[in-house]
Amino acid sequence: MPMTRREVIQSGIAVGAGVAVSGAAIVSARGKQDHADASGPSTVRNLDTLKNIPAKPGEDPLMRMQRDLVKAMAKPMEQRHWVMVIDQRKCVGCHACTVSCIAENHLPPGVVYRPVVIEESGSFPNIKLEFTPRPCMQCDQPPCVPVCPVSATWKRADGIVAVDYDACIGCRYCLTACPYGARTSDFGEDYQAKAAIGADGQAVAGAQATPNEGKPSPEYGKSWDRKGHASPAGNARKCHFCLHKLENGQLPACTSTCIGRATYFGDSNDPDSLVSELITKHNVQTLLPHKGTRPRVYYIV
Amino acid sequence: MSDSTPASAPLARATLWGLWAILLGLGCIGMWLRITQGHLPAGYGSYAPWGLWIAIYFHGVGIAGGAFALGALGYILDWPGFTDRKALRTTVILSFAAFMPAFLGVWLDLGHPERAAAILLSPNFTSMMAFNAWMYNGFMVVAGAAFLLSYAKQSSWLKPLLCLAGVLSLMFPSQSGAFFGVVDAKPFWNSALMPMLFLTGAVTAGAAMLLAVRGLVRGGDEDHAIARLRTVVLAGIAAYAVFEFAEFSIALWNPSVHAPEVELIMWGPFWWVFWIVHLAVGMALPALLLLSRSRQAWWWGALLVSICFISSRLNVLIPGQATGDLLGLQSAFQHERLTFVYQATAMEYLVGLFLVALGMGVFWIGQRIDSLLAAKAGTNA
Repeated sequence: MPMTRREVIQSGIAVGAGVAVSGAAIVSARGKQDHADASGPSTVRNLDTLKNIPAKPGEDPLMRMQRDLVKAMAKPMEQRHWVMVIDQRKCVGCHACTVSCIAENHLPPGVVYRPVVIEESGSFPNIKLEFTPRPCMQCDQPPCVPVCPVSATWKRADGIVAVDYDACIGCRYCLTACPYGARTSDFGEDYQAKAAIGADGQAVAGAQATPNEGKPSPEYGKSWDRKGHASPAGNARKCHFCLHKLENGQLPACTSTCIGRATYFGDSNDPDSLVSELITKHNVQTLLPHKGTRPRVYYIV
Repeated sequence: MSDSTPASAPLARATLWGLWAILLGLGCIGMWLRITQGHLPAGYGSYAPWGLWIAIYFHGVGIAGGAFALGALGYILDWPGFTDRKALRTTVILSFAAFMPAFLGVWLDLGHPERAAAILLSPNFTSMMAFNAWMYNGFMVVAGAAFLLSYAKQSSWLKPLLCLAGVLSLMFPSQSGAFFGVVDAKPFWNSALMPMLFLTGAVTAGAAMLLAVRGLVRGGDEDHAIARLRTVVLAGIAAYAVFEFAEFSIALWNPSVHAPEVELIMWGPFWWVFWIVHLAVGMALPALLLLSRSRQAWWWGALLVSICFISSRLNVLIPGQATGDLLGLQSAFQHERLTFVYQATAMEYLVGLFLVALGMGVFWIGQRIDSLLAAKAGTNA
């Protein structure tokens, strides 16, 4: 039986209502504020690190960055803008940053925040090796954020792209969205399980994980114990510029362990900071600029 | 149908039950492994984060949407073979039977499945995943309401609800394509053709599955329905081939574009998925069978399309993840989950079998419930 006039009108109302609801959902999501991070005076940290050591000309860049960090933390969070500058001319590809990051954040197998990409060019004997440490780019237009179906990742006012491990459902959509491959998923592996087992049933000496592995991760200023597949196991994980260290007036692990002083960190909103000086003085580049992500990690090449 | 379908004989019925038992038995092993060992036995990783279950998911929701769209459209427009309510309910049951394994597949894929409800409770609609999830659930509510209304003697809301559900059933398969299309980081996915490819694949596989099911269930005017569905499947195969060629032609004839994904699909280690499963067994052979005069051949052709079209999902999903923008990333930090190469593991295949068994089981239970409700309502039409 063909549709009656009444059925046609009812159909129009039903479909129209469906379209209107869908449109409203999209519009409201586009206009929605991200996570309501703490801001204002409550985020000011008056740290006394290096307070009693006067700055000297020509001091180690780590000292300078440390002072910059203390200065930045004395401002409300929304007035800081953390950036990283990596001098590829100085990087020797030692991977100390990779290892220190793993140790600092208690990363399990298969999870890495800061690999060092090695590119070889030329032909023997004229070979050139180029080292590109690749932390999270903390993009100003992060493609990983809008794809998260549960708003578990967001751009903080200080420029860091954070992940709420308690909210992340582990769908891994953000992993596919990141053009830098900066997010890895914690599939619940641990080094201890892969240790070679000897005849006595115990892990062979040297094969077992260090006690560090079993300790909770301090990321985001909390204590994350992965036992029983608890978060961050099952989550997307990424570099966060060692946010938990920053809050305590410490530089990110990769920065403080860089043996060649090739990694710089600081507040680009402070025109007198070392990073601001490096960015303006050198011809810096960003990775994959054509992607339009506006990375906050700069490379001096 | 004028000549018998393979399932019309008791032997075929026993074969189906035997097949289901085997799928379920093997699938339970996979589910046991997934439950006890988590993601550890799976082959996906961080650079190729999605695998077989996600392909099954998109294939399942495609069948659900495509089959429902045709069944509802046929009922609304009074297509011969689609006008009786029993046939309509069979379509809804098939749609739900395709949804359930799809949802279970993606649920098992989550790192924290216990938090899955957050997609519905605190969604972020800038994410196509959340938008899509709401579409599915909205569809299921509306289609479920239409299913229940179909038992009423008279209802002026049945067709309006079918119209709304029909629109939704066309939207979510195309959104599945947009789900990939919005990912700028994956050049192979980032194409405006993706929604069209997914929608065409959904309608084709959905029509094929509906044809196969109606050949088995025989609840109404099957001759007309199957003839109509056959036409849709044939048109769908042709349309999909055109869209796929359009997509590939850009990569193959553009001298300044290197498309490793297309080369991987055609000449990579899984070349046989494209040439044999997708093109030969999933499109060419079914097209020949559907063009024949034998209705039994149509049934087999439709069955092949409904199964093998999963390769069209796999050939989008896997190659799209197989390349990265940063050269050398894979070797920068070595681990089996930090590679662009994906190979489904035995556990993933076994769970896949469980998902198929689940779909068959849901359809059987749905049919039984329908019979009971129809008897209670005193109507079969």
